Amino acid sequence: MFDFKEYLRLDMFPHMLCPGCGHGIVLGAMLRAIHSLGLSKDEVMVVSGIGCSSRLSGYVDFNTLHTTHGRPLAFATGIKLARPELKVIVITGDGDALSIGGNHLIHAARRNLAMTCLLLNNEIYGMTGGQSAPTTTPGKISTTSPKGQTERAFDSCRLAEAAGATFVARGITYEPAAVERLIAAALQHNGFSFVEILSDCPEFFGRFNRVGSPSDMLFTQKQNTLDAKAAAALPPERRKGKLLTGILHQDSAPEYLATLDQNFAGAVRPDMRE
Amino acid sequence: MENGQVQNVLIVGVGGQGVLTASDILATVCLASGYDVKKSEVHGMAKRGGVVYTHVRYGRKVLSPLIEPGEGDVLLAFEPAEALRWSKYLKPGGTLITNLRQRVPPASCLDRRPQAAVRYPQEIQRSLRQQLGDVRVLDAESLAMELGNPRVSNTVLLGVLSNVCEFSTEDWTSAIERSVKPQAREINRRAFLAGRNMQFPAAEEEPAAAPAQEAAASLAIADIEIRETWCKGCEICVVVCPQNCLKMNDAKKAVVADASSCIRCMLCEWLCPDLAVNVH
Repeated sequence: MFDFKEYLRLDMFPHMLCPGCGHGIVLGAMLRAIHSLGLSKDEVMVVSGIGCSSRLSGYVDFNTLHTTHGRPLAFATGIKLARPELKVIVITGDGDALSIGGNHLIHAARRNLAMTCLLLNNEIYGMTGGQSAPTTTPGKISTTSPKGQTERAFDSCRLAEAAGATFVARGITYEPAAVERLIAAALQHNGFSFVEILSDCPEFFGRFNRVGSPSDMLFTQKQNTLDAKAAAALPPERRKGKLLTGILHQDSAPEYLATLDQNFAGAVRPDMRE
Repeated sequence: MENGQVQNVLIVGVGGQGVLTASDILATVCLASGYDVKKSEVHGMAKRGGVVYTHVRYGRKVLSPLIEPGEGDVLLAFEPAEALRWSKYLKPGGTLITNLRQRVPPASCLDRRPQAAVRYPQEIQRSLRQQLGDVRVLDAESLAMELGNPRVSNTVLLGVLSNVCEFSTEDWTSAIERSVKPQAREINRRAFLAGRNMQFPAAEEEPAAAPAQEAAASLAIADIEIRETWCKGCEICVVVCPQNCLKMNDAKKAVVADASSCIRCMLCEWLCPDLAVNVH
């Protein structure tokens, strides 16, 4: 029987996220995914950077590490190399992973080290007061784009796929059960798995852009996205302007540790060999 | 069938049972035998377990694709409640073939607690027998399970239908083989023959009803736990609850309004950003 209180640091609750912040929904989905795989708390390592999303590592009772801005993937790479038996999960935000840590993301994807990156995309820098992020939709209002965002936005899934990630998926907080399944699939993938979860920021993005209550923002997510499988059968005009959700890319490439082990056969620490 | 006459076959069922495949096979058989065939279908409800039906009309020359109420020669129902719903389309003396396996539609089972009673029509067989003459009932799904795959129950039902329509076994089996994947041909052939060889005595005993509803023994009402100190009042749970179990109190916190109608859909628990809700 799943009880998420088992996985939380209860003395840290209630958490500091704003009312209606989608990151908490992702937290619940992640805990259910970990529970569904039967992982013990000691087997899981959660690493995060800086930002609202990165606060999540402080609330979970796994091995956790709250690191510097943009660098959680670099820390996680080191942890995975030293302790390959751990399931390493990186929780990062859109600004953390795509802007400050953009290079770490593409190189982690390129290396294909078996760890999972959860990118919580709320299209804005929430913690620092609502500045525009690399994912802010053009035309949307933020503190640094009072007349509407001028820059184009990153599609982080296409970026990760192009950089070589072998598992790329996108979920929305409107569909917590699907997010749970995507995270579970990502955790089981042998290689670098990347899951972008569209979250919402009612406090800044929602207020600046007058998009309604937290629940309205959830419903908007559903309107702006399409399941990838369903979309494949639709004519192009119905897919126009919609982001695809579900598993977007999956292939098998040599996993980094396995290759390393092969190249250094006999020279690698005994506990890293099978 | 005499010249100028048109045979009307109405095939009804719910999503996922293979209604469209069965009607395609029937239309193929008719075409192969040199008839003019018109087929009209309503589908798309399948994903929600909704109604799927097809009108198949064949004869020397068929003009309209639709069967009027009271004009059907054969009603092939994949689900007993659908048999009841569509029985008015049969003409007096028409033949009803119905599967006994019940598929409770979503609207009838809003109450998804264990052992909850479902609102499903009772005594379907008796009322159908009173209204109609030639009623042939069978549990096609059990037969299909015995053959190894519940998905061939539509072929079993086609086998029963084949005794009403006058085509040869070879015509039927070759049409079936063209409609299914090569690896499924053998099981579909056996399913068809199992249906074709079934005997339906005029006065049949009432077989036991399929086990879809059992009397509500004890209805455990969901226990919705909301940790007030964790709740930040974003109102998501109140908005998404399909049964209006929750409400906001004066202090802008979510509270339980009425747990008795909770269907344990879990949306409030899964969508609570503050992890403040548990449904037990």
